[in-house]
Amino acid sequence: MTHVFSVVSARAMRLGSGVAVGLLLASHAAMATDINHARAQYNYQMFCQGCHTPDGSGYGDIPPLKNMMGTFLRSDEGRGFLVRVPGSATSKLSNADLAEVLNWTLENFAGASLPEGSYEPYSAVEVAALRAQPLQEIQATRASILAEIAMQTP
Amino acid sequence: MMSFLDRLFERRARTVAQSSSRRGLLKKLGGALVGATAVPLLPVARADNHGNGVAKPVEHGSDTDCDYWRYCAIDGFLCSCCGGSANTCPPGTEMSPVTWIGTCHNPADGRNYVISYNDCCGKSTCGACLCQRDEGDRPPYRPDKTNDINWCLGTASAAYHCSTAVVVGVAFED
Repeated sequence: MTHVFSVVSARAMRLGSGVAVGLLLASHAAMATDINHARAQYNYQMFCQGCHTPDGSGYGDIPPLKNMMGTFLRSDEGRGFLVRVPGSATSKLSNADLAEVLNWTLENFAGASLPEGSYEPYSAVEVAALRAQPLQEIQATRASILAEIAMQTP
Repeated sequence: MMSFLDRLFERRARTVAQSSSRRGLLKKLGGALVGATAVPLLPVARADNHGNGVAKPVEHGSDTDCDYWRYCAIDGFLCSCCGGSANTCPPGTEMSPVTWIGTCHNPADGRNYVISYNDCCGKSTCGACLCQRDEGDRPPYRPDKTNDINWCLGTASAAYHCSTAVVVGVAFED
């Protein structure tokens, strides 16, 4: 370990303040929702990133998470939608890991789309109930949820 | 007139002499030298920190060999034999932003890394260095974990040319 560290230490020192800020943000988020960031990021990479892209922007027909997914938290149906879509509901993640990766993506990508800038974290129990009802008509459901949310926002 | 100029220059010279020192120039030059070497390090280091600042794998082996550690789940032509590399597409092709992702064990440092198999698209198949290893490959009913489909999705052309194997992170282990 010490050997590896000495190899990378010069670079680490150059990164300096960026790393310090990152650690501060990480510890803050961990206190808020009890997310294991290394595990959540790994699960995002393994089960989401391939299509939603590394920064959650999406691409073409693949919907963006970035500055978007928080919009769904404005209704109960929308909150359920994020869990009931096939990528979430049928993934091989456990209920606890799925809840964690959803909370992690909300924290990292939802940005300004979060209602009032915050959110109620998903729990494993909530996720278990929702993913037991996977969606059939995904695009139609998505459109109607977003239309309803657009109506309630002045 | 001359006496006016004399007085003017004398006053200027005295002002300069009072507000500066002979070593001041050396000090400023030295500061500029040190500063100029430090400043370019900052953006370079950040660009190097691509993604999440993950530790770089200890590399060994050749990326033109199918046995290369990053290719543990690849199924296609190696871009490193087609004018690109394990990280980059050959000229004239476009890297697919949509990809499939798995993990490979790196025997050189004993760690598992998350590998993104981005296909390079826009030219007909490369044909060099066919490599099929398929570790962790799943049938197409697990579409995010299969290498049997054409991953040229989201590119201008769906024509498959070759595959890369980009390290995107370190696998999480309990």
